[in-house]
Order: sequence, then C-alpha cells, then structure tokens
Amino acid sequence: MLLNYSHTAPASLLSKGDSLNSDEIGELFGLSFVILSATLFIVFPFFAFIYSMLFARLHQSKAIKSLLAREANIMHQLGGDNLHTLSKPIPDRKINESGLVIANITVAPSWWQLFLGGIRSIFGGNIVSFDKVLAYGRSEVMQRLREQAIGEGWDEVLNVRVETSMVMNKIKGGKQNKMGTLEFLAYGTGIR
Amino acid sequence: MEQMMTSNIETIPGFTITKSLGVVSGSTVRAKHIGKDILAGLKNIIGGELKAYTELLTEARTEALGRMIMDASQRGANAVVNVRFATSSVAGGAAELFAYGTGVIIVEG
Repeated sequence: MLLNYSHTAPASLLSKGDSLNSDEIGELFGLSFVILSATLFIVFPFFAFIYSMLFARLHQSKAIKSLLAREANIMHQLGGDNLHTLSKPIPDRKINESGLVIANITVAPSWWQLFLGGIRSIFGGNIVSFDKVLAYGRSEVMQRLREQAIGEGWDEVLNVRVETSMVMNKIKGGKQNKMGTLEFLAYGTGIR
Repeated sequence: MEQMMTSNIETIPGFTITKSLGVVSGSTVRAKHIGKDILAGLKNIIGGELKAYTELLTEARTEALGRMIMDASQRGANAVVNVRFATSSVAGGAAELFAYGTGVIIVEG
C-alpha cells in the first residue's frame, strides 16, 4: 500500500505541469478579466471623448434645425406668438376657460463642450459652447409650451415663466460633479 | 368632485374669489434607477436632450401638482391661483420638485 502510494504521487505532480487544473484556470481568467476591464476603463473615456468631438455637433445641429422648422411652422400657422408674459388678460378679451400649461426639457452639454468650456473658463469671457446648449434648451422649452398649449386647445398662454435649475448632479464631498445637467421649465395659464 | 381649477395668474378669469384659504403645497423627491442613470450618462457624451430625465421630471412634477391639489381640496378650496414651481437638487442624483399656490374659493361671475 505504501509502495503504491509513492508511485502515484510523482505522476500526479508531473501531470500538473502539463495541463492546468481548475484553480489555475480560475486565476488566469480572473487576471485577464482585471486587465480587460482596466483597459476598458482607460480606453472607453478616450474613445467616448473622440466620438463626442466628432458627432456632438452633428447631433445637436440636427435638433436645432428641427426646432427652428417647428418654430417657423407655428409662427406661420398662428400669425404670431401665442405666449405672453402679461399677468392679466387684455381687458376686453372674453375668456371662457383657463388652466395651467407646463412643459419641460433636460439638456446637457457634450463632453467636448464641457472640455472647451473648461478651457474657456480659465480666461473668462463668453463661453460659446455652453451658450449654445442653454439657448437651445430655452427655445426648445418655449416651443414645447406652444405645442402643448395648441394640443390642449388653448388660444393663448398668459404669464409665461421660464425657470432653469441644475438637477441630477451627483454631489461628492461637497463638490459638484461636472455633469452639467440642466432642466428648463416653462409654465403659464392657458386661456380660451 | 369637479376638477380643481389652477392658474398661475392672480385670478381665475371669469370667476370671483370669495375666500382665500392660505398657501397649499405639494412636493416629491425622485431619483432615477441606476440602469437609466447609466444610459443617460452615456447619452451625456454627445449632449443634447436627456429624454430619461425629462420624463422623470415630468412625472414627478405631475405628482407634486397632484399633491398640492389634494392639499387644497382637503382645505375645502375649489381653485388654486398663482401656482409656482421650484426645483432643487438634493443628495446624489435626486431632485426635489415643489409646487405651491394659494387655495381659494371661487364663484362664477
């Protein structure tokens, strides 16, 4: 029995060198996973940044174009704007019904715009890249309010207010994460 | 009960306010679940509108408004005038939406 045992032991040691056992495979897999995920974490932001640089402008200009077209269309249909900031209706206007109209949008600058804005804020002055995003968001929310009012059957909207707030920003240790998500809210009283 | 009338001007056109019942308010705090948060983060790369957040905030604001209306009806108001909204960013990725106004009793004429 002793003999038998001593014969089998070296054989098993030898075979260990040739093929991997389950422990070693697991270790190798774990190591490759760590390397892969580390590369992904380094490489992904880089490619995302490049992607943002190349395609953000295209994507945003498409949205702006469609906004301008819708705006022109509505202006043409109504022969003027249906939003007013007057807090009271014009005295001789007959009003049968009224109600609240609300529209909102959330926008964020792209990574490339954030980067440009970051550079620009060193020297100060007009930050063109943020300007564009904010102007788009504000016009878009006004346009949505117009469409919402028309959809709900209001002739005009009185006392329109537009509000801006930063939302969904993760706060880490008292310092805001620079994601720059902005919400625009427009509301008013619809009359007919 | 008939639908509560709301406006963000000082009166409801065509009605007269007979009694003011004070400030009525409603608020809600919302956060997005992590999956959509990550997707919105990816969308953030190219910027522009983040639809997931827009939807979330619309939903939340409707709820805040609903709570305000419930508050008003509990006080016996039949309209809310001068409605205002306030938004603030509280702890990590959550937003508080607040709606307030003055609960009033109105009569036609």
